[in-house]
Amino acid sequence: MPLENLAALVVLVGLIAYSIFGGADFGGGVWTALASGRRAAEQREAIFRAMGPVWETNHVWLILVVVTLFTAFPPAFADLFTGLFVPLVIALVGIVFRGAAFAFRHYGHVVEAGLPATNAVFSAASIITPMAMGMAVGAAASGNITIENGTVTSGLWEPWLQPFPIVCGLVAVAICGFLTAFYMTARATGELLEDFRMRGLAASLVLGALTTIALPIAHWDAKPFWDQVKDPAPLAVMGAAVAMGLASLVVLWRRWYLLAPPVAAGTVALVIGGFGAVQYPYLILPNERIADVAAGDPTLTAFLIALPIGALILIPSLVLLYVTFSEKTGGPGAEPERYGY
Amino acid sequence: MFDTVTSARALMGMSLAFHIVFTAIGIGLPLLFLIAEGIALRTGNEEYRQMARRWGRTAAVLFAVGAVSGTLLSFEFGLLWPTWMEFSGSIIGFIFGLEGFAFFTEAIFLGLYLYGWDRLSPRAHWLCSIPIVISSAISALFVISTNGWMNQPTGFDVVDGKPVNIEPLAVMFNKAMPYEVTHGTLASYVAAGFAVAAVYAFAMLRGDRSDYNKKALVLALVVAAVFAPLQVVSGDLSARFLAHNQPEKFAALEGQFETEKGAPLRIGGWPDTEDKTTRFAIEIPKAASLLGFEHVDAEVRGLNSFPEDDIPDARLVHPWFQAMVAIGSFMVLVVAWFFGLAWWRKRIDPGRLLLLAVIAAAPLSFLAIEAGWCVTEFGRQPWIIYHVMRTADGATPREGIAWVLMLFALVYVALAAGLALLLFREQRRPLEPLGPLRRISDAP
Repeated sequence: MPLENLAALVVLVGLIAYSIFGGADFGGGVWTALASGRRAAEQREAIFRAMGPVWETNHVWLILVVVTLFTAFPPAFADLFTGLFVPLVIALVGIVFRGAAFAFRHYGHVVEAGLPATNAVFSAASIITPMAMGMAVGAAASGNITIENGTVTSGLWEPWLQPFPIVCGLVAVAICGFLTAFYMTARATGELLEDFRMRGLAASLVLGALTTIALPIAHWDAKPFWDQVKDPAPLAVMGAAVAMGLASLVVLWRRWYLLAPPVAAGTVALVIGGFGAVQYPYLILPNERIADVAAGDPTLTAFLIALPIGALILIPSLVLLYVTFSEKTGGPGAEPERYGY
Repeated sequence: MFDTVTSARALMGMSLAFHIVFTAIGIGLPLLFLIAEGIALRTGNEEYRQMARRWGRTAAVLFAVGAVSGTLLSFEFGLLWPTWMEFSGSIIGFIFGLEGFAFFTEAIFLGLYLYGWDRLSPRAHWLCSIPIVISSAISALFVISTNGWMNQPTGFDVVDGKPVNIEPLAVMFNKAMPYEVTHGTLASYVAAGFAVAAVYAFAMLRGDRSDYNKKALVLALVVAAVFAPLQVVSGDLSARFLAHNQPEKFAALEGQFETEKGAPLRIGGWPDTEDKTTRFAIEIPKAASLLGFEHVDAEVRGLNSFPEDDIPDARLVHPWFQAMVAIGSFMVLVVAWFFGLAWWRKRIDPGRLLLLAVIAAAPLSFLAIEAGWCVTEFGRQPWIIYHVMRTADGATPREGIAWVLMLFALVYVALAAGLALLLFREQRRPLEPLGPLRRISDAP
């Protein structure tokens, strides 16, 4: 495989990892907004507890995507950030507020009076951010970013305020809600578990519906994307995504909770992998091919050598982290003790 | 309204000025809790364990904000400086990749440290602090080395306006890297030491002279006392490096307009860029020549000897440099005073004035970091990559950046206010109880 394709694969894998780890955090915000019934407060609390130790780690994947883009594909990085200026600014503001709201809620143990406001900021930012990011990804695949002689000529708004990017944004939000509900079924117990099961079932139906209507909308609104869909490789991946999505429904219906997280993660990986397969060999449809915007071989080699070396340190640490903190939520809270500063 | 380049610079500057505070804490604070928990494990002293827990929690909050503001910066590279990144991405990008790993490792072990108090064995828990200290320092090394490259770009050739023949190791180990990395990392330990010391000095000032407060104060000040003098040495080496390798920057920070043999060191003063002279400064004869070139009669090149379009604005460099040096000297003085007094009296019993000095040193130490960063950034202008690309040529073609600047100014104000409130509350918040502390030697 040519080096530049390997680097593009890193971008895709980073995007998938960000979705299945970071996406679940955004989903936490989605369900904080949609928490309902007698156990609304418990639902929120359970989500926050589950996210606590791992949320920062989850978001490092975004950095991997950004860094790989600017290292391996500098011109595409420049054009994406110029062409998608507005949605990326929106996502950025969302990231800041969401991170801040979560940290403040989590570390500060916001007093009762401040809780609704913090929850509102957290929820709103958790929905707006994946929406804006999904729209940005959709816009890059829609052919709406026009580039002439290496300069972006499309305006601030028209590449992303279009039907296809909007559906992609909604898919991104649905992915987040879907993941969180599935992940939580493996952790919650009792009535809380049933709450998350129902939410998981609803979310998989919504996700299935949105990804299904995305295709006719692409045909109508995103021609360059649609032209690529009809190749056998993307069709195969998308078929697998559909199968996995159906499997996830069965898993929750039959209450095989141990299987819920892997099936959900697998579904999302295949949905995004399918998107990537459609876009190959382009980074920005239909203008910039991976091979045309890649950095030179010395750069790619250095970067691709650095990745596995880093992973060698990282993966065992990551496993240690997740193993140490994967547990059922609930249980009596310890009484606090006062001790100086 | 500001034009695009000015707005982009202001926004980038604001973001970095914000971020740098959290990185300094993220690098420095882990060293403090590593030491505190180590002492707790050796001596079985519960108070040191409480310190480590308290500092770990604070580090986690600040690290979270630093992670968010760091994500912001990586986006701003593309949003504000796409042309610069299009050129530099393939040269320095991989260093950010390495930094990502170091950061990731730090995040993982910080998570383990913070939440692992009652899940890991005491020894395993303490061991988790070591990768935090190491990976945070390595993060600093990577990030600062890219700034070094912007000041001393090497490891590539330019053909048709594009970088080719990239040698990644030469890029990372550029000439400025050892000086900048040392100075930046040491500054973090000093600042973290003073920041922590100030909390306990404040408690003592209010009359709580408990053993716990004294222990914490001494521990934090020991760290500051070890690194503050080293920082003076590193600063001297850095200035000498600039004198030889970036003479415009050296001239700007010394306020030197005329080329001169036996140039004086100017303390204070205001560089008048109209009349091309530095006014109101106390001049120490021949000292700038001595400090920069190790010889009293050495020639120091003045700003006037460079083309007008290629020099930094001395008004933005000289005063910051003065502030940094003054604060650095003050900090050395404070730790000398504290430990001198303790040695003289054979006990820790600082007076009001000394406590006030310790408290003052905390914000000042961060101001010194900001000042030093201003010296290096303003001193590099008008270049974004020294002698390769001008700052104005690296900016985005997008209009309306001033609006984004205002938006993020509000975001930062909100973030800073929320954080201040949180830290204030965190101080008052009781810690959850843990099992009994066992010394390592007692462990089964």
